[in-house]
Amino acid sequence: MIQIHVLQGAALVWSAEDAREIRERFRLVGTLVGALARKPRQNTRLGLPLQLLPEEARLLAELGEAILVRSTETQPLAEGEELNQASEVEAYKQELEESYQEQQRLAGAERGALLARLADHIAEGRARRRQERGEAPDAGEDLGLLDSPFILPRGSMMVQLPTARCHSGRIERVDWTSPSPDWPHANCPAHEARYHVFRELWDRGYYLSGGSKFGGDFLVYPGDPLRFHAHYIALCCPPGAPLPLCALVAAARLGTSVKKTVLLCSPSPSGTVAFTSLQWSGLQ
Amino acid sequence: MGFTEHGKQCLLPEEALYLLECGSIQLFYRDLPLSIQEAYEILLSQGTVSLLQYQVFSHLKRLGYIVLRFCPSVVPSQYERKLNLDSYCKSTGKRHHKRKRSSSPRLQDKKQKVSGNPLEAPGTPEKASESCGDPKKPASGESCLSEKSKESDPASREGQSSQVATDAVQLSKSPSHSQAKTGDQAAGNSCSGTHPSRWDFTRIAFPNMASDCPHTFLSQPDKTLLPENVAGREADATRWCKLVNQKREKLTRKEQAQQERESRYKSSVNADREVRRCSNWQEYKALLKQRSQHRAGRRPSHLWDQPVTPLVKPDQVASAAAVLKQISVLQPSHILDGASRLQEDMAGMKIDFSVYQADAVANFKKNDPGKPYARMCARRFDEPIPSLRVMKRLAYQSEDVPVVFALVDNGEIAFYSFKEFKLPVDTY
Repeated sequence: MIQIHVLQGAALVWSAEDAREIRERFRLVGTLVGALARKPRQNTRLGLPLQLLPEEARLLAELGEAILVRSTETQPLAEGEELNQASEVEAYKQELEESYQEQQRLAGAERGALLARLADHIAEGRARRRQERGEAPDAGEDLGLLDSPFILPRGSMMVQLPTARCHSGRIERVDWTSPSPDWPHANCPAHEARYHVFRELWDRGYYLSGGSKFGGDFLVYPGDPLRFHAHYIALCCPPGAPLPLCALVAAARLGTSVKKTVLLCSPSPSGTVAFTSLQWSGLQ
Repeated sequence: MGFTEHGKQCLLPEEALYLLECGSIQLFYRDLPLSIQEAYEILLSQGTVSLLQYQVFSHLKRLGYIVLRFCPSVVPSQYERKLNLDSYCKSTGKRHHKRKRSSSPRLQDKKQKVSGNPLEAPGTPEKASESCGDPKKPASGESCLSEKSKESDPASREGQSSQVATDAVQLSKSPSHSQAKTGDQAAGNSCSGTHPSRWDFTRIAFPNMASDCPHTFLSQPDKTLLPENVAGREADATRWCKLVNQKREKLTRKEQAQQERESRYKSSVNADREVRRCSNWQEYKALLKQRSQHRAGRRPSHLWDQPVTPLVKPDQVASAAAVLKQISVLQPSHILDGASRLQEDMAGMKIDFSVYQADAVANFKKNDPGKPYARMCARRFDEPIPSLRVMKRLAYQSEDVPVVFALVDNGEIAFYSFKEFKLPVDTY
């Protein structure tokens, strides 16, 4: 079961396996919004969390493949949980100590290997220095270097900053059918219209992503967005709402100039969606 | 950037989260290290920084900009810049204590900044006397004043202003009512910790000493406005008012020559006897109107007695530009026209961040950031476009730094701004 964490109306996926499954199995793209762990100070490639459109999150919840959860970490601890807390702290300190010992052992072993590799160099250098100083050569001292115990300073220990929560924290389930401060999209007419259009296009096998870059509601791809350019710009027009001609001309012009077809989508109350595509043609 | 509180270095939540994502710090809450997911959930909330604002913040930081929270009270107003007060405030900033590195970094609750300031105020008199003795600062008296001023004192000032003439009170009261909210916000704002306190000129009432005001009795000034060893007293200004403009002006030789040259071609308005008879603007304007009507008596009847009359008179305009200005229907306007009179309520839209250029890192100082590159307003993409009223208010708050809207659409950020330009006018 995929866990989608909602935070102030945004649906975030923190687990890497879940993010992969969402893209591969469910054809949902989403946007990565966090810093990439290896190269955090750049904007071209971002990392986890994966932010899903509200329509994508609702689709997964409707399919029964995901649940929407909310964190209750900031609420004060209940009685029984304080003992849990103390034991967690103990466990963490234990882990830290074990990690430190392991790192010390590995660092010591590496240092020993390095010294063994450079032993001849070191011996040469020492002999030369002793000659310059005018002392007698002493063969017994060379081995002493490798025997001194190596202490890894605590400050240079490596610690891990996990992205997703390590142990399951305090979370509570969010009902996506009723509006709440963390999930305000439920029962919102604009969201319902968009969701109908989204579901219809997704059922036909397309990949969909946000369309704000091209002035529409969704961008429709025939395959994975990493391999294809978008074919359609989907604009949701609620049935019965007036559509000013200026807006239509603006959308059509934009679509022609970026070589995409504008798709006007209108969900009807019966559940079906009517699609109209705009194409720039000649006089006929 | 962070701020220093009681000698300890503290970070703002968005800065802490950004550094955690970069892998530079480790955050502990209840003795356990936080993962990035937990940090997002704990640090980002409606009360502090929203997820939206954090996404904009981290985007800009990753591009290399220096991003600070926006405090409207710290922006020097046009009036302060005219008086050159902002450079004084910077030069008398509080002495920088060395940051103490504590051995046990604990995530403390963010205390209100208001509790910090009154505690520090008794400490400033000693520092004020030291900095006053500093020979580098030329107007040391004024610098002492600016250190001691408090901004959370509207009640005493409004009480004082009631004794002065009524029209002065009306001038100061209407902006003070609208600014009262910002005053409270500024007092409780947690980001003004490192900046010295400022004068709030909308709430200090200066008495009206012009000749149209009959009140000449000045009450005792508020003790908070004066240095500590200066006592204020009441004064009766009638004698001084009589002496104003009594002395004859002594001109230098150059000025005398210039006046002589001008007298050949120009005539002073005050030389006219009828103008001297006017005692206020109203009478002068009536005189001008009367004179123009006299001249208008020479108008040709075939032009001026028809139902359709000419738009301009020959003596009114001297160039093509003046003609075009006279007959124009649309008047050119600037975004800041009338902006100072707008009320505070802006449907929640406010400026979130000030963004400073990336290449100014070498010169950037926390207490003297200089002029920002832009001011950011982080909104959602599906919100309606702001109205002109909101735009005017934001431009007024931003004081000649462009305002950019960062629109976030489910993780994707795009930057939009309104550009002002003047339509070309065809004159030569």
